[in-house]
Amino acid sequence: MISYFVRRLVAALVTIYAVITASFFLVRLMPGNPIEYLEAQMTLQGGMTPDEILARVRAIYGILPTGPLWKQYLQYVGNAFQGNLGQSISNPGHSVVGIIAGALPWTIFVISVALLISFVLGLVIGTIMAAFKDSLFAKVMTGITSFLSAIPIYLVAILLLYFFADQHAWFPLSGTYTVGLKVGFNWPFVQSALDHAVLPIASYVIVGFGGWALSMKGSVVTILGADYVRAAESWGLPAGRVTRSYVGRNSMLPMVTNLALSIGFLFGGSVFVETYFAYPGIGYYLIGAINSRDYSLMMGCFILITVAVVFANLIVDFMYPLVDPRIVMPVSGKRRVVLGKAGQGAGGGGPRGGEAVGPLGAISLVDRGV
Amino acid sequence: MELLKSLWRICVSDKPALVGGAVLVIYLVAALFGPVFVHVGKVANPSLAYLTPSWRHPLGTDFLGQDVLSEVIVGTRPVIEVGLLAAIFAVFVGVVIGLATGYLGGAIDMVLMRVADGFLTIPGLPLVIAVAAIIRSSSPFILAAIIAITAWAGLARAVRSQALSLRTADYIEAAKVQGLPLRNMISRQLLPNVGPYVAINFLLTVTGAIYAEVGLFVLGVAPVSGTNWGIMINLAMGNGALYTSKSLLYLVSPMAAIVFLQVALVFFARALDQLFNPRLRAQ
Repeated sequence: MISYFVRRLVAALVTIYAVITASFFLVRLMPGNPIEYLEAQMTLQGGMTPDEILARVRAIYGILPTGPLWKQYLQYVGNAFQGNLGQSISNPGHSVVGIIAGALPWTIFVISVALLISFVLGLVIGTIMAAFKDSLFAKVMTGITSFLSAIPIYLVAILLLYFFADQHAWFPLSGTYTVGLKVGFNWPFVQSALDHAVLPIASYVIVGFGGWALSMKGSVVTILGADYVRAAESWGLPAGRVTRSYVGRNSMLPMVTNLALSIGFLFGGSVFVETYFAYPGIGYYLIGAINSRDYSLMMGCFILITVAVVFANLIVDFMYPLVDPRIVMPVSGKRRVVLGKAGQGAGGGGPRGGEAVGPLGAISLVDRGV
Repeated sequence: MELLKSLWRICVSDKPALVGGAVLVIYLVAALFGPVFVHVGKVANPSLAYLTPSWRHPLGTDFLGQDVLSEVIVGTRPVIEVGLLAAIFAVFVGVVIGLATGYLGGAIDMVLMRVADGFLTIPGLPLVIAVAAIIRSSSPFILAAIIAITAWAGLARAVRSQALSLRTADYIEAAKVQGLPLRNMISRQLLPNVGPYVAINFLLTVTGAIYAEVGLFVLGVAPVSGTNWGIMINLAMGNGALYTSKSLLYLVSPMAAIVFLQVALVFFARALDQLFNPRLRAQ
């Protein structure tokens, strides 16, 4: 049981280490890389001696570009693990981590609310679609969800902005709360923050809930056809019990797996949503940094988005045993067969019950995360 | 041939799939022949700016006085080009790695699957944006390669699990006994069995790649030069399309072009899904 948690933790740390290594490669070794770009720019501006330029590069990126490469690499990785991602170029006097620390909570707030709403909405709609497969509701919903899951989030964001913030000024055009309010747990501030978050959250939910509904439907349909559900019904168990313990829990398994994948997708979408709603979260700063060629801030945003997603995934991994105890307490092969026949083991085997969802249902969320 | 016939049968019974297929054909024709017949001028003509729709300009004109419909048609090719290229790269890498790891197992499997897990965990779009921002290229090959960096991992995992179950199949055992070389094992024995799955995923990867590619241009991360839908949206937003109703059509037209294409791809993928999964048809 412990080994499961340790394995997940190590995998998460290795991923973060790999991302920092990759970002060193991008910053230092790519042709036309940011450090050379910065040096060339400062040389062009003139008025600085080569030593001053080096000192400035060092202040911004935290590495001395003249030393041997392995030393630069160790410096970069060491700095990153100590939480030092250098200085921002376009916001002089501000550290990259300082800027992001102010932005990340807003992104996490909007994303988690949006994820919760689309998850619950998708689960409910998907279950109804599976239970009443031939109803008008199921047919209409199939059309709507396939249509919505094909629409890029930036189009939804632009349209929402146009209709609800510009044409009708029902919601604010930009920002996270009305400037001048006292930050804290007081009603005007909370109300203003919610008001500013409604349209960004709506953007994620509109493109997101369809995917959840479709994969939930696929999952429930598969479970409803399973022998152990039929067996439970034929024993005369109350319908509520069958729905909750036999269908409900088992069809949730692939959903929880998707939860981990969709977090990365949401952070990807934040780049568009926050840019259009001028919502100063981490995605907003990522694009702002690119447009002002502030590469140190850009790499910082990239690294911290990744770290946030990796940790979110880790939390999902740690919660997974609650939904599926088999993952930490593997039963022996013989016992599993017996259990599968008796009707307790979802789909008779593997810990992840999502295999039978069908390629479209199982993969759609992954793909949109490109 | 037999396959095409059943595809047609499925399309006839599944109207959305038929419409999707037809729309895809229209887009392909526009991508192939559009630039031959339609041209977008390079010279600005402010006196023609923001014209309302007319016979001459069915979708009106943009802020430079250029015909919006022509721009949408000319913009089709670069979008589809990068979408297809990226999907080809990603599917190729995904299938090769999936088959190799599933079939060979051992240390290669361990290492490559950890790498794939890593790519599945880290958010793809921010990585693509960061790389594209540093490379700053508008070459379709480079853009496609950047987009494919993250798109292969999911497919590799799925193909691997199929290859794992095939590894113990009788005909694979038979092929092994005959001592067929690895290349033959992978390309002739394993590949045809994962082919259908790959075909569906190819279409879905195309939608993902188009989503990412247009996104790069919309945000202005990829260089704004030439004409494609992402650049059109970027310029429309940059010229205040949200605040003047005059340019609404200029903003909405490329958006509609994207939505129609994406929906068509998804609906057509559904037909392929039914074609290769007879069980779905029975349900």
